[in-house]
Amino acid sequence: MATLEQPKVRRAGRWFDVRHRKLGMWAYALNRITGIGLVVYLYLHLVVLSTLTRGPGAWDAFVSLARQPYFLVLDVILLAGILIHGLNGLRLAHTSFIEAKRQKVLFSALMLVAVVALSAAALKIFGG
Amino acid sequence: MKLLDITLEIFRYKPGQQPHYDTFTVQVEDTAHVIDAIDKVWAEQDHTLTFRRACHHSSCGSCALRINGVEKLPCITRFSEVGDGKIPLRLDPLRNFPIVSDLVVDVSGFFQRMSASDMSITRDAESTLPLSVDDLGSIVQPKAVQLPDNLSHFNRFENCIECGICMSACPTMAVDNKFMGPAGLAAIYCALQKTDDPDEKAHLMALANGEHGIWRCHSAFECTEACPQAVDPAGKIMALRREITANRLMKTRRG
Repeated sequence: MATLEQPKVRRAGRWFDVRHRKLGMWAYALNRITGIGLVVYLYLHLVVLSTLTRGPGAWDAFVSLARQPYFLVLDVILLAGILIHGLNGLRLAHTSFIEAKRQKVLFSALMLVAVVALSAAALKIFGG
Repeated sequence: MKLLDITLEIFRYKPGQQPHYDTFTVQVEDTAHVIDAIDKVWAEQDHTLTFRRACHHSSCGSCALRINGVEKLPCITRFSEVGDGKIPLRLDPLRNFPIVSDLVVDVSGFFQRMSASDMSITRDAESTLPLSVDDLGSIVQPKAVQLPDNLSHFNRFENCIECGICMSACPTMAVDNKFMGPAGLAAIYCALQKTDDPDEKAHLMALANGEHGIWRCHSAFECTEACPQAVDPAGKIMALRREITANRLMKTRRG
């Protein structure tokens, strides 16, 4: 029977399609985005650390670049990813092993914690 | 009673043709359901439109599709619930199933999963009815029957009408064709509550705990949100996780 099916790569786009969906889907999409972002960051971090092998000069040059304000914005984005992914992980652990009825309230509360923590961290990062 | 002019944008696909949308305008009563408009399109404008429907009252689950991107049963969805009548309603087939023609999808994968979960024949007795079959022949006071203690664990699953909406709503299904899916895993949970056979329990646990079982679910809870029958498949998946983890811990403790 001839049927129509989208290629897998296009179907993966449904991970991020939150249109008309409920809060749990937002949590799912955020977890995927931050998860992929953190994996990319891990590899970038290893590349950056490898500058140490080129001597103190190369490392100092990178550190002075990392203190620029636009670079600090990347730090805040990284922290946002860690907070969202980590706290969402607590939601997953709770729904999987304790109870699953209050997952929406839990997600909202944990994201509130993420916003407060991120705001405090951003003030600290930019305030010095 | 008012008459409404309803415009539908309907997904069209026939084997060998490019998928596209066709627009139809039909007149229906303001109390009509979406399935009534689809019926009218077929009856009055396009006999080549293919779609499924049977019971018209959410018992068979065969008409399930997406209305403006959201999985619904059009037989119980009124126009007032899904729009103001001014913007066209977009109708698409369910996601995560191969499309056969227009709004018709191949649901065989759904039933294969149900069968694997030992759910193809489960109603060997209607233990939840307050009357036994013998009572129906004579007018007597309803006789209270003793319900099983663990009834709440599985009776909601008996409401499953096998519409496939949960599989369409699940984002994980999109890329894992072998994933047991919300209905399949909820069926496993239900079957586990009903059997005392250790071999069957082991088989079901292995299926749930396998590569395409409960750990592939990433807790979007869209299956539970979309289910028109309040079966709560996501809740059953989480319950299975607890059961399997507890079993594993017990085994570890025993050595």
